[in-house]
Amino acid sequence: MTTETVLRPSAEQQHAAELDALARADDRPRPPRWRMSPQAVVRYVLGGTLPDGTVITPKYVGDRRLVEIAVGTLVTDRALLLVGVPGTAKSWLSEHLAAAVSGDSTLVVQGTAGTGEDAVRYGWNYARLIAEGPSEAAIVPSPVLTAMRTGAVARVEELTRMPAEVQDSFITILSEKLLPVPELGTQVRAVPGFTVIATANDRDRGVNQMSSALARRFNTVVLPPPATEDDEVRIVATRAAQLGRALELPAEPPALDEVRRVVRIFRELRSGSTVDGRTQLKRPSGSLSTAEAISVVTSGMALAGHFGDGSVTAEELVSGLLGAVVQDRVSDAVAWQEYLEAVVRERADWRDLYRACQDR
Amino acid sequence: MADLPDRVTLLGIRHHGPGSARMVEAALARVRPELVLVEGPPEGDALLRHVPDLTPPVALLLHDEADPASAAFWPFAEFSPEWRALLWAHGAGVPVRFFDLPAAASLTGGGGPALDPLGVLAEAAGFDDPERWWEDVVEHRTEPADVARAVVEAMTALRAEFADEVDERTSRREAAMRRNLRQALRDTDGPVAVVCGAWHVPALTSLPAAAADAALLKGLPRKKVTGTWVPWSHGRLTTASGYGAGVASPGWYAHLWECAARGDTVPRWFARACAVLRAEDLPASTASAVEAVRLAEALAALRGRPSPGLSEVLDAARTVLCDGNQAPLDLVHAELVVGERLGAVGGDVPTSPLAADLDRSARRLRLPVRAQPRSIRLDLRGETDRERSKLLRRLAVLDVPWGVPDSTRTLGTFAEAWQLHWRPEFAVALATAARHGVTVVAAARQVLGLRAAAATRVPEAAEVLGDAVRCELPEAVDGSRAALDRCAASATDALELLAALPDLATTVRYGSVRGTDPELLRTALHGLLARGAVGLPTACRDIDDDTAERAVAAVDGADDAVRLAADDEHAATWRRALSAVAGMSDAHGLPAGRATRLLWEGGELDSAAVAARLRRAVSSQAGATAFVAGFLRGSAALLTADPRLFGVVDTWLAELPGPDFEAALPLLRRAVVGFTPAERRMLGDRVRGAASTTGPGAEWDEGIAAELVGHVRALLARGSGGHP
Repeated sequence: MTTETVLRPSAEQQHAAELDALARADDRPRPPRWRMSPQAVVRYVLGGTLPDGTVITPKYVGDRRLVEIAVGTLVTDRALLLVGVPGTAKSWLSEHLAAAVSGDSTLVVQGTAGTGEDAVRYGWNYARLIAEGPSEAAIVPSPVLTAMRTGAVARVEELTRMPAEVQDSFITILSEKLLPVPELGTQVRAVPGFTVIATANDRDRGVNQMSSALARRFNTVVLPPPATEDDEVRIVATRAAQLGRALELPAEPPALDEVRRVVRIFRELRSGSTVDGRTQLKRPSGSLSTAEAISVVTSGMALAGHFGDGSVTAEELVSGLLGAVVQDRVSDAVAWQEYLEAVVRERADWRDLYRACQDR
Repeated sequence: MADLPDRVTLLGIRHHGPGSARMVEAALARVRPELVLVEGPPEGDALLRHVPDLTPPVALLLHDEADPASAAFWPFAEFSPEWRALLWAHGAGVPVRFFDLPAAASLTGGGGPALDPLGVLAEAAGFDDPERWWEDVVEHRTEPADVARAVVEAMTALRAEFADEVDERTSRREAAMRRNLRQALRDTDGPVAVVCGAWHVPALTSLPAAAADAALLKGLPRKKVTGTWVPWSHGRLTTASGYGAGVASPGWYAHLWECAARGDTVPRWFARACAVLRAEDLPASTASAVEAVRLAEALAALRGRPSPGLSEVLDAARTVLCDGNQAPLDLVHAELVVGERLGAVGGDVPTSPLAADLDRSARRLRLPVRAQPRSIRLDLRGETDRERSKLLRRLAVLDVPWGVPDSTRTLGTFAEAWQLHWRPEFAVALATAARHGVTVVAAARQVLGLRAAAATRVPEAAEVLGDAVRCELPEAVDGSRAALDRCAASATDALELLAALPDLATTVRYGSVRGTDPELLRTALHGLLARGAVGLPTACRDIDDDTAERAVAAVDGADDAVRLAADDEHAATWRRALSAVAGMSDAHGLPAGRATRLLWEGGELDSAAVAARLRRAVSSQAGATAFVAGFLRGSAALLTADPRLFGVVDTWLAELPGPDFEAALPLLRRAVVGFTPAERRMLGDRVRGAASTTGPGAEWDEGIAAELVGHVRALLARGSGGHP
């Protein structure tokens, strides 16, 4: 399977060249079954230039310390829990860490309200189970079981969305590093290199609080929203351009000023005051994450490409903006209307945006 | 230029660096010098015999005898290399001297923030914690005997790099060091150890001709300097003088020092962090501590450091022990990284009689001197609490604000809330105040007496009087009353007189609790009131808007004061003054409106008179807005809640003929512009409510009323800005 044939190649496919170059240039000791040394993993995530001239693109824009703590945790045998509000690149970071550490970011369990224990432990191939009785061969391993056997990183997305009893099945896996198979009277023991990276968000509704017994098995790294407007603009611009290429959108990524405007609107509404601190704003109920800012920009690109002249203007961004900001029809609409009148209208160079919003 | 004899050992150190402290201890034990020279002012030599009585952190406090406010500190912590040298010399019975520039010369010339040369080297090596760099790179990898030599080499190179950091003051200090070193070499034939900042070491490696140094040191100021040891705090360690910033992580340094011998720095730190968290009922298991140690070590390896430093242990503590949360980490930070503590000074150390008196009083009143802030509540009816309050008030008069009254909580007349926080630099204020008396009482009395004598204006004198009453110093009360009379007699500004009244009224009320005869104070209040009342009408005539604002504030405050503390006779005087202002046609509208309102509230004017007065104001046009504003200012809540006030305004508006009403609208609108939107909404609701409850009355013309209500609604809606 080549990367062109899928909508979204995995991190290790997309950045195969960088990973190879890093592994080649790496002369530091590697923990068992790691593709590269911890230092090289940090460099893969944060970007840099290798001695042989290979440019490593930055995958995560933010505090170096956090990435170091995350990688440091993977070196010890504690599991890593990435916590943050939606859209703070938790899954993104988790995927790239897994890709760099074990060269495989696809051992994923997606946490939902319907995730069962089978998804965490193992299931059965029933045809075989009935034909042959319980046997090693009849077991359908979960991604976690596979990771334990191969000494790889298992990823758990949205851990707190799983029912509490399913979450707790991780306790034995994480503390004893083994998974009993009572039907066979055996157990699977993890080989060195096995670890878990879980993500959880602390803002959404409908999450199941983690038991403290499980929380104790994790080292917790809190990912903050991008610290500065410039950081966030950089993230949005880069990601929108990448997505635009992947989706083959027939539009140029918008000018940096347009991105900055979207980011500023998001940041101002998120923090409840304008950047100059003079005006207080109502905060909409949505999380207004960086990820949503990215999708506003990409949907603007899609509109411009298919229905417009291919360049993204205020006109194209407005519908995405409205959709992201106005989640609750009543209260958020008021917040948006106030923002429009108090802030957007007052900014001379935002007139086009104001008009575009008025038209709706 | 003569090379330094071999018997001299130069120990270049990092001030308050535990690593350097270990080096100094090891070197002294090896060299066994017969004389030790330590960086510091020679005037402090006389105080060195007290070293065994001190518990660090302490500071040497030296000040100019003639001008105690000109003072400087030389702080020492348990882990300061200089302190280790002093202790060692004392233990070994070896003479020790300070060998820097005399304090007489350094008290005046304040040096800027000094370069931290070892910090610079550490940073160049990629460390953000210079102490860990010292431990990892310097100590673990270097023979102890070579450390001192390595420091000399590094500093020589560094001084070549930062040549412009060597200013005139530094050159002079180094000249003084060399001169004192020559003297030391003459005084003993045995080995000499020199402990000084690493930065100065290159300047001491050779001794140029004494005459050159003497030339540099010519013309230094000579002063008589005295001093003492004072308790110091961890937080202010690098504060050599003045009140600059301190070491950011003294608790961590203390920990490094304490653990160095055992070699269990990181595990012990996490064990202590767990203990801190458990003391707050937060979960912190030993298993977590183990994991935290492992993460800290993994991070150190990842960052290419031989062992975890402060940033690694904090990162690991946050991630493993605190579930990524800041709040529990803040606890650990306060307890272990800052680790604030206050040193102690033994009883035999000479202090000023004033400081000794404070110490005695504090002990008698069981007010422990602590570096951490703490709140207390005093019940003034109890003897001890009242003494405490007096002590704190008197200290505040002496510029030693150990206790700060907590004004966020009002506890009535009989109780006070205080925030206690002892800051080491209070020692200077105490030393300065020492010239005023040998006890806190005497010094406070003297200071208040001086302030009273120097007061030229009424507010100043009134403030002194308030302080004197709160400090319960009868002589000072008498003195400041005399001063108040004097200032009032010569005062020309009635508003200034009136502005002093509210404080005085509080003081009168307070006086009964404070053992001052309230009648005496009431007499003072009456004196001011009488003078102010006479001058008030004139003070409201022909004034600009700013002065009018002052006048309104003064009138309001004075009226409160009168109701609180004045007798009937003087209250009547005050009301006459108000009537005069209200009746004057040429008074500024603001105070006139306000006076009208106050008279109406006091029952002096009936509602009809007020309505007439309002009508007259509106018809006169000029100053009409001010009058209505003065009348209504700050009364939105009252207007909605008080049916009488509402009735007056309502009647006035209702009785206005059409054209006058049109004329009054903009005035009214401007008058209520200061109301908040919420208040305006409340008023609007009140108007609506009034309309519905009044019902059809005999004297009501329904048509006119409906029209009027419509007008008022529109008015209030417009006033609240853009929300139809």
